[in-house]
Amino acid sequence: MKTSKWNLIIMFVVSVISFCGCVQDDDFKVPDTVVADPVIPGTIIDIDAVLGSVNQANIGNNNMDAIITFEATNTYMLGYVISSDEAGNFFEELILQDRPENPTAGINVQIDVSPLFTIYNFGRKIYVKLDGLSAGVSNGVITIGRRDGERIEKISGAKMTEHLIRTPEVASIVPLVVDINDFSNELESLYIQLNNVQFGASEVLGDNPKTFAAEDDDEFDGERLLQNCTEGGSVILSTSTFSDFKGLLLPANQGSIKGVLTRNFFDTFYTMYINSPEDITFDTDERCGCGLESTVGTSNLFIDNFETQTLNTLITGNGWTNYIEAGSTGWEAYTATGTNASLGKSARCSGRFSNGDSNVAWLITPAVDLDTTTNETLRFKTSNSFSDSSTLVVLYSDNWDGTVAGVNLASWKPIVDATIVQDSDFFGDWINSGPISLDCLSGIINVAFKYQGSSDEDFDGTYELDDISIDAQ
Amino acid sequence: MKHQLLVFLFICFSVTVISAQTIIKGSINDGTTDEPIPDVTVSIEGSELVEKTDANGEFIFLLNVPLGEQMLLIEKIGYGTKRYPIIVNEGKTVDIQDMSMEFDNDARDLVIISITENDLNGEDDGATDNISGLLQASRDVFLNAAAFDFSATFFRPRGLDNSDGKVLINGIEMNKLMSGRPQWANWGGLNDVQRNQEFTMGMSANDYTFSDLAGTTNMIMRASKYRKGGRLSYASANRSYEGRVMASYSSGLVNGGWSYTFLGSRRFGNEGYVDGTLYDANSLFLSVEKQLSETHSLNFSAIYAQNRRGRSTSVTEEVYNLRGNEYNPFWGVLNGEQRNSRIRRVNEPIFMLNHFWNISNKTSLNTNASYQLGTTGNTRIDNGGTRLVTFNGQNSYIGGANNPDPTYYQRLPSYFLRDSNPSAFDFEQAFIAQQQFLNDGQLDWNALYSGNANIAAQGGNSIYAIQEDRNDDQDFTVNTIVDSQISNDIKINGNISYRRLKSENFAVLNDLLGGNGFLDVDFFAEETDPNSIDGLLESVAQSDRRNPNRIVKEGERYKYNFDIEASVLNGFAQAQFNYKKIDFYTGVSVSQTSYQRIGLYENGNFPGTRSFGPSEKLQFSNAGFKGGLTYKISGRHLLGLNASYQTKAPTIRNSFSNSRQNNDVVIGLESENIQSLDVSYVFRSPIVKGRLTGYFSEFKDGTDIGFYFTEDLAGQGFNSGDAFVQEITTNIDTRNVGIEFGLEAQVTSTLKLKAIASVGQYVYIDDPDLYLTSDDFDGPLTFGDGKANLKNYHVPGGPERAYQLGFEYRDPDFWNFGLTTNYFSNAYIDVSNLARSANFSTDFDGQEIIAYDASIARQLLKQEKFDDYFLVNVTGGKSWRVKSYFIGFFATINNVLDQAYKTGGFEQSRIAKYTRLEEDQSRAFGPLFGARYFYGNGTTYYLNVYVRF
Repeated sequence: MKTSKWNLIIMFVVSVISFCGCVQDDDFKVPDTVVADPVIPGTIIDIDAVLGSVNQANIGNNNMDAIITFEATNTYMLGYVISSDEAGNFFEELILQDRPENPTAGINVQIDVSPLFTIYNFGRKIYVKLDGLSAGVSNGVITIGRRDGERIEKISGAKMTEHLIRTPEVASIVPLVVDINDFSNELESLYIQLNNVQFGASEVLGDNPKTFAAEDDDEFDGERLLQNCTEGGSVILSTSTFSDFKGLLLPANQGSIKGVLTRNFFDTFYTMYINSPEDITFDTDERCGCGLESTVGTSNLFIDNFETQTLNTLITGNGWTNYIEAGSTGWEAYTATGTNASLGKSARCSGRFSNGDSNVAWLITPAVDLDTTTNETLRFKTSNSFSDSSTLVVLYSDNWDGTVAGVNLASWKPIVDATIVQDSDFFGDWINSGPISLDCLSGIINVAFKYQGSSDEDFDGTYELDDISIDAQ
Repeated sequence: MKHQLLVFLFICFSVTVISAQTIIKGSINDGTTDEPIPDVTVSIEGSELVEKTDANGEFIFLLNVPLGEQMLLIEKIGYGTKRYPIIVNEGKTVDIQDMSMEFDNDARDLVIISITENDLNGEDDGATDNISGLLQASRDVFLNAAAFDFSATFFRPRGLDNSDGKVLINGIEMNKLMSGRPQWANWGGLNDVQRNQEFTMGMSANDYTFSDLAGTTNMIMRASKYRKGGRLSYASANRSYEGRVMASYSSGLVNGGWSYTFLGSRRFGNEGYVDGTLYDANSLFLSVEKQLSETHSLNFSAIYAQNRRGRSTSVTEEVYNLRGNEYNPFWGVLNGEQRNSRIRRVNEPIFMLNHFWNISNKTSLNTNASYQLGTTGNTRIDNGGTRLVTFNGQNSYIGGANNPDPTYYQRLPSYFLRDSNPSAFDFEQAFIAQQQFLNDGQLDWNALYSGNANIAAQGGNSIYAIQEDRNDDQDFTVNTIVDSQISNDIKINGNISYRRLKSENFAVLNDLLGGNGFLDVDFFAEETDPNSIDGLLESVAQSDRRNPNRIVKEGERYKYNFDIEASVLNGFAQAQFNYKKIDFYTGVSVSQTSYQRIGLYENGNFPGTRSFGPSEKLQFSNAGFKGGLTYKISGRHLLGLNASYQTKAPTIRNSFSNSRQNNDVVIGLESENIQSLDVSYVFRSPIVKGRLTGYFSEFKDGTDIGFYFTEDLAGQGFNSGDAFVQEITTNIDTRNVGIEFGLEAQVTSTLKLKAIASVGQYVYIDDPDLYLTSDDFDGPLTFGDGKANLKNYHVPGGPERAYQLGFEYRDPDFWNFGLTTNYFSNAYIDVSNLARSANFSTDFDGQEIIAYDASIARQLLKQEKFDDYFLVNVTGGKSWRVKSYFIGFFATINNVLDQAYKTGGFEQSRIAKYTRLEEDQSRAFGPLFGARYFYGNGTTYYLNVYVRF
């Protein structure tokens, strides 16, 4: 081959190399993902302001759920993210509260995007551009989204970054420690903590302890009873059947739990959702309460079905102590037929028309000596009617002196394993408490049924009680 | 090799009774370089005598030479054809030395381009596999047209698949054992050194191998077979690559019996016709041959073809209507650059040693060894990143994300309008989604990176990562091929070969997308999965139980990891008989094939030896018989026939039902039985050449495996029939019947007219067996009688009917122009097998669906036939001679009329149930899970400029 031809080839190769035949290679630099501090081109308002507007509108709408729509208000709502869909227990929603610590207002934001935890992670401070959105009560809690007729629907995914503006701040959220008996609308959509709680004996003891949400009869959510060891009362922990931890077994011991307080789908009771199992810290090994007993002994220690009582008067006799601690209503005898029938004569307590802001009424059994018997059990039946924010707890004391004046001086502890009627139960049903074991208790005790109204009589309801029996072997 | 069958179905030796030796001989040189040209086909028109030139450009006809005035035809791919009139006298020798042929830099290039481009997109992509790589340029008018003009539309001659044909390089079979298909990317970009191709049609006699139905191509890539000279070229196009540069040089025969050839090329492009399809390919070729003695020659060839491409995919009609045929959901902008999430990488160099031994002038022995090793990889986004949360001594994996695909059904307008009476809100949402899809509609890389960064800041693992599915193969082949003219009339061929493959199959974590690690567990695993041995999520979810909860870094293997070991021992023998009026041949092939999977991970869903360690060793013994004849009515009229029967071992891919997870072998796995028959009439005159062929082939006991997510499987309980499944279809019986017609008329010395037609019907002739497997349910799942009612459905794969009219004008002044009009019809969709099983009519509880209406069902299950379409293609070129250099260009414009058309498509098996399909198909604003289609390119161009010396 002639030199000139070699030259030609060399020239060609050189020109080819210098000519840009470059193609983007596989080595992409990690892009800058730092979130810039946004400049908010409008008025910044609190979650409280939105809640207030919705509540106002509801009042103006004869207390029916109203929807308010933001148009040309140029307002931006500030909030901190307290929910996380990382474990799949929240889906296409963000729960925001007004501050990282001691929050006073929380709200639910519906958005058609999954996952959200990669963008709006737990503790992230964000602004919600309200114009174009609507707010109202949805599934029992105040919710922001896009209006679809009389419903609040999800904000379109394509509109996400327009409406949900991130800031660089990721706050550390300090949960608000509350008691189950203090649940109210004001605590909805807040990140709360319950101390000294345990799962119900039927959830975690026995041959088939339950998982969070992987039981055969779990639909949408697994609902598990959480009991308050110190004050009594219980709440349902809800876990999505789509969550990543649905198959984990519930812990049997007790401790504290953090999560978002909200209402169930049908708005019939308070419930709590956790972000991940890491929100549960059960570090006390002993359970409270004696658990349940499968059989009832033949020796009766105390029994009453109220058949000897006089209708529409306070329960008396048979060793009962009837003590109205606050308000004007106490436990009285009644009968009813129809859907909401009594069991012959039954006892009830209702703060609804007690003409007082608060109503607390006790019904206390006579003393029972547990030192001479074994395998003692307690049984009773409860029902309710629009119990709303009122509660019924079952307590015992081993140091009450038997006087009305001594009630508040004695130490009362909850009988946590008692199944007491829930808001979600049908008002006509009578709920068996189950044979609750008293076997782990000792000494001489009294059992008390304590009705606790809310601070607003309009939210007080009625509890009914009957067929109380304490037995031993 | 002295006697070389070429190109045509019918290789005929006309026999003239002679007493004295009548001989025609001569030599052929390159008109430009005066170098001898090897492998030129020399035939005597009307006699069907055919010879080939040797390395010195010489040929000789010794036997049965016809007397009188004859026309000598010399042809070679890459050169202009020439005809020389001669007069042959009995007992005399006609010796024509130094006939010249002009190198013809035209469309030949294009053939290989169209093939390799499309083939590269194939593999693993389901229906993109449609192109038959065996559409080689040949002298057959029909195949020529098919290669040039039909390949862009997935046309498959006789309805045959790539795996129904064979590709050989220097006599070594290159079809992959894994898929049965040749991997064209392994030798892409080597156009200049792939001009020496021998093609035999169908099952007709082939000197190297038993052949296969779609034909056999042998590329001769040895240094001594290349024409001396060099070539530089630059091509520009907008189909797959944007530019190609190529330089090659061949030494011809130089001192000491050496010859050498090298080629270097680069193809590049940031995107082809479809958006975001980058192209980055470098190819090198080196061949050195030494003529050891008069009878021995040793050749070494090395091919290094490295290829990296951005892939595209099928889309639904809704997506097509919004974004057109250039849309590709796989890419998005990152740092201001296009980044495609699906990159296909092929890098499998081939080294071969070839020994040629002319034992006598009648017998030759060719012994070859080849070794190929390297990698193919396909990337994708893995959105299942989690972190380990240990709670009360129990492990759970939290995290994971939705599919970030912008065409995910929940992001498209139809999803928001799925209800029968959409509200104003629904329309608003649909509009927002539509605007979003129109204005952006690409992958959001920043969201992936920012999500990972967000999680990493809290100490979590990557949620998103790039996974690369890899095949790292070592393929070793040795064979020896004998060719002997044992008498004037009889030639025998034989081939013994042994092939051994070790294939490593695994996923590798390619990119953590800014994160720190990736937890190697199956995000979709459930503790309730049927194969869980202890009911614990942490057991089921493991990719490798022997190495649980592993945090994977970039470059490490994860998810699945197994080896395949395979070997094939094959013997082939053939005899060809040539007589005056009739030629015939017969061939036989026997083979022994074995496959074994060796699991290197113990999969959580399939603990123990079900996934770990060696599988059952699969053994297949196969045989094939074929025979054919040519009856010569006269030199101008020929009748031919080929018949064959063979059994073929299933490919590795179709042998293990779920090789990524376990050692399971396909239940009822059998070798495929194939029988075929074709009959042809050939007419050849100096002006008109034509062929008419009728063909028939039947495939029995075929196997196919598909993978998909499906909902509401029958009999799996209410709301619990969703699963990611492997669909195994066995006993597939199909029949291909049709006719092929090609006619070419050299109207004047410059103008040639062409007309071709192919009309076929490719149908299932029986109902195959179908079962599903999955880690989501127990055991193989069958429906009803276990069949898929596919009988009489069309086998998908390109148009069954194709027609062409065209002309070529070749001016003596070194320019040419051609135009073809092509018409295609009767292309059918790939139907969902599952929807044709009893799953379709059976409810969650195994009972028949109450509302089942047979006439509506028939409507739903009707196979879609795609619309007919025209494609007009134009070619043209010109060349100049400047001193000893030739400079020229060649250009084509395809689909001049910018016709929109579907090249293929398939029904999704996601909702293969009467109630769901009926609901989906009757949605006013389009189905959510409609069929997915491949759309053809609009108008595209290709321009090649070259210098040759």
